[in-house]
Amino acid sequence: MVEAEAAGLIAIGAGIAVGLTGIGAAIGEQSIGAAAIGAMAEDEKFFGKGLLMTVIPESIVIFGLVVALILLFVF
Amino acid sequence: MGLFSAPAYAYITARVRARKKKLIPRDTYPKLLNMELPEIIRFIEETEYKKDVDELSARFRGIDLLEHALNRNLGASYRKLIEISRGQVNYLVTEYMRRWDIWNIKTILRGKYYGASEEEILDYVVSAGELHYPDLESMARRESVEAVIDSLQNRPCYQVLKDYEGGMLNRIEDELDKFYYARLLDAIGDSPGEKLFLKFLQTEIDIKNLKTLFRLKRAGVDREGVQNAIIPGGLELRGPDLIRLLGLSFSELIHSLDGYSYWSSIADIVSEEGTSLTDVETKLDAYLMNFASRISHYYPLSILPVLDYILHKKIEVDNLRIISRGKELKLSNDVIQNNLVM
Repeated sequence: MVEAEAAGLIAIGAGIAVGLTGIGAAIGEQSIGAAAIGAMAEDEKFFGKGLLMTVIPESIVIFGLVVALILLFVF
Repeated sequence: MGLFSAPAYAYITARVRARKKKLIPRDTYPKLLNMELPEIIRFIEETEYKKDVDELSARFRGIDLLEHALNRNLGASYRKLIEISRGQVNYLVTEYMRRWDIWNIKTILRGKYYGASEEEILDYVVSAGELHYPDLESMARRESVEAVIDSLQNRPCYQVLKDYEGGMLNRIEDELDKFYYARLLDAIGDSPGEKLFLKFLQTEIDIKNLKTLFRLKRAGVDREGVQNAIIPGGLELRGPDLIRLLGLSFSELIHSLDGYSYWSSIADIVSEEGTSLTDVETKLDAYLMNFASRISHYYPLSILPVLDYILHKKIEVDNLRIISRGKELKLSNDVIQNNLVM
């Protein structure tokens, strides 16, 4: 019973780690994406740089994912 | 700025920064001064004005072609800003651009008052505000000042225009300016960026009032005449200070300006004997442009970068016009250069 509860809490923790970092990345990306599209609308050469800049906040989700994986497979 | 309004600002500021990069660099103007008019037109044809010059080249030639292309491009660039902005920034840009409606209404009223033809009037309008080119054409077709005013019954500025009782237009023009600034100042919110925008507008009002003071005092206009032309809402020139300046003569005025932040930009060229009003106005415009450039970096996601672009675009068009008109009139390079805002 206690083990099942602990497994459930770990799963919730893992979900929060991925979910919150996803929301954080989305908040960061909304402005960067809008600015990148604005720059691209004026000059198509910004496509590569714009795309790169837009996905930079995604790295925070990878941290969340790593934390989630550690929670699920180490503990 | 709310979480959800940030992307709207990010989009428009990225676009205006990219557009500002495409403006003619400052160091190009001396090169243009060494060119003849046909070369200048060819140069302009290779810049952002290409489409406008190409499309108008069938109807106009030489300096007229350039004037129309510059006006059209300016109007289109400003209108584009209204189209691509959203939310509060769109509201502010739209309100700011109403100055072109006021400019166009004044141009058409003056044209009608002095009996100019429809074509002559339309040469000077810039369709950048709420009034589109067809609206302006239909206004310019009206036969009298009163008929033009009647055609504006559904526009907000009619509440000022309806008081026109015939005769000179100066009074109604001053009232239109006051109406424009009062409305614009009301539209400004209380975010940090908008507070700086407010400061910019107040500075702009000060500079306009200063120009009015210089011009009217030089012409010997009485206190009441100057007071009618003064726009309320300035930053430094306000209250008892402004009332004191209104009562001074031209020579007293230039001795009283020491201490205002604008003075340092014009101190070298102002004297009792031979002050060139054109030079003073050029220096004051440069002061305003530099002020806008300085504050445009304070809050990157705000109306300020948009304002900075708007001003630089206007200055570019004015400078190109000054160079081409100067070349056409065979003015010396020094005279032309002194009139450029850089």
